[in-house]
Amino acid sequence: MPFAQLMTSGIELAMNQLLKLDEDSQQRLKKLSGKSLQVTIKELPWPLLFSFSEQIDVRAVMPSDKDLEPTTETVDCLIELNLETLPKLRDSSQLTQLIQQKQLNLVGDIYVAQTFSALLKDLDIDWEEQLSGYTGDVVAHQTFASMRTLFDTAKTQIEQGAIELGERLTQSDSIAVKPSEMFEFSKNVSELRSDTERLSARLALLEQAKKADTGLNN
Amino acid sequence: MSTPDTNDTSASTQTSESTTHFGFKQVDTSQKVNMVKDVFQSVAAKYDIMNDLMSFGVHRLWKRYTIDCSGVRAGHKVLDLAGGTGDLTAKFSRIVGESGQVVLADINDAMLKVGRDKLRDKGIVGNVQYVQANAEALPFPDNSFDIITIAFGLRNVTDKDKALASMYRVLKPAGRLLVLEFSKPTNDMLNKAYDMYSFHLLPKIGQLVANDADSYQYLAESIRMHPEQEVLKTMMETAGFEQTTYHNLTGGIVALHRGFKF
Repeated sequence: MPFAQLMTSGIELAMNQLLKLDEDSQQRLKKLSGKSLQVTIKELPWPLLFSFSEQIDVRAVMPSDKDLEPTTETVDCLIELNLETLPKLRDSSQLTQLIQQKQLNLVGDIYVAQTFSALLKDLDIDWEEQLSGYTGDVVAHQTFASMRTLFDTAKTQIEQGAIELGERLTQSDSIAVKPSEMFEFSKNVSELRSDTERLSARLALLEQAKKADTGLNN
Repeated sequence: MSTPDTNDTSASTQTSESTTHFGFKQVDTSQKVNMVKDVFQSVAAKYDIMNDLMSFGVHRLWKRYTIDCSGVRAGHKVLDLAGGTGDLTAKFSRIVGESGQVVLADINDAMLKVGRDKLRDKGIVGNVQYVQANAEALPFPDNSFDIITIAFGLRNVTDKDKALASMYRVLKPAGRLLVLEFSKPTNDMLNKAYDMYSFHLLPKIGQLVANDADSYQYLAESIRMHPEQEVLKTMMETAGFEQTTYHNLTGGIVALHRGFKF
């Protein structure tokens, strides 16, 4: 099974399907028409070659073609990066910064890489509209309204929970007994007990004295 | 039905001066073109769906591999020989762009019409030409093409040596020929399973889907009669191709041969 071709086939299908779902993407794709971009991801055994026309064609540069690998003479732009850097390409304004940080090697026309990056980043797909094609407007609207409500509720609950937790932590902190206060309180309780015991002893003495006086008088 | 043990191992595919094979049958050389024509005339309408069914869709990956190995780029002139319903042409057309050109050639007008309609329906126009041509006598000037591909077509050609020589002639210096064709599985177990599938299941699928068991019986037989990997490599070298290599796909069920003209 030619796995490289299976992979490029999947990438190509996914990209072109996504582009089809955003009508405006065709205009952006036109800017790249006739251009080609080779992406070498260090973790992958084959560089990927993107050719742009009214759609994107993705090819694998096969190992047996090493001697015939496209150079800047045959591809418009050639970039080399690792998998970790790949998501950062979504922001085309970061390309220069990534090159400076040596996270990205770029040879050729940077415009091709920037336009490709913008093409993917600016994809604006109305998923509700897409679903309505299969289920009808009402079901699609209700599904997305329910999902939005569910999402908003979950978001509100999480936010509210976070606020409440914060408040509880703050409040319990203010009413919590500090060790010095506990020590002072214990000391006061001990003193009070001592005072009470002394008073009780004095009262007992006074009661005895009173009984003795009453007995003598009788 | 007797099944030869191995594919053709002789460098020449002609059985004698006046006869050649049509599947496992021996026929007059002059008859084979028309017999092959009848087969493809019969299957043209269902060709794509049958390809998907027979190969479980893997033929698309084999063709992608061929394109990946072609080194095609914008501005190239490509000949998609025995191009049938235009699977390779569609992709080549987008890659070579407005400055390039793709010629879809097939000996069979029914296949060519199906291919032309399919590509036009897909909006592929402008840089594609359609030519009904016999691979043994290509109607193009010398040194015309950067790339020539022939996918699942060579085994149907009566005189393969003559066809390879003709391809060599029309290929530009530094151009390359890619031959994608059924071949001999490298594993004995796979070979046996493949035989079972080809001779028992394939004609039944053909009967069910295309209402034509005979054409798919011929397909299975013609695959067995096609030169195996090393023989085809030698034939290409004899025709003048250099740096000739082949790569087995799916255990050798299919092989991609590549040769350069310098």
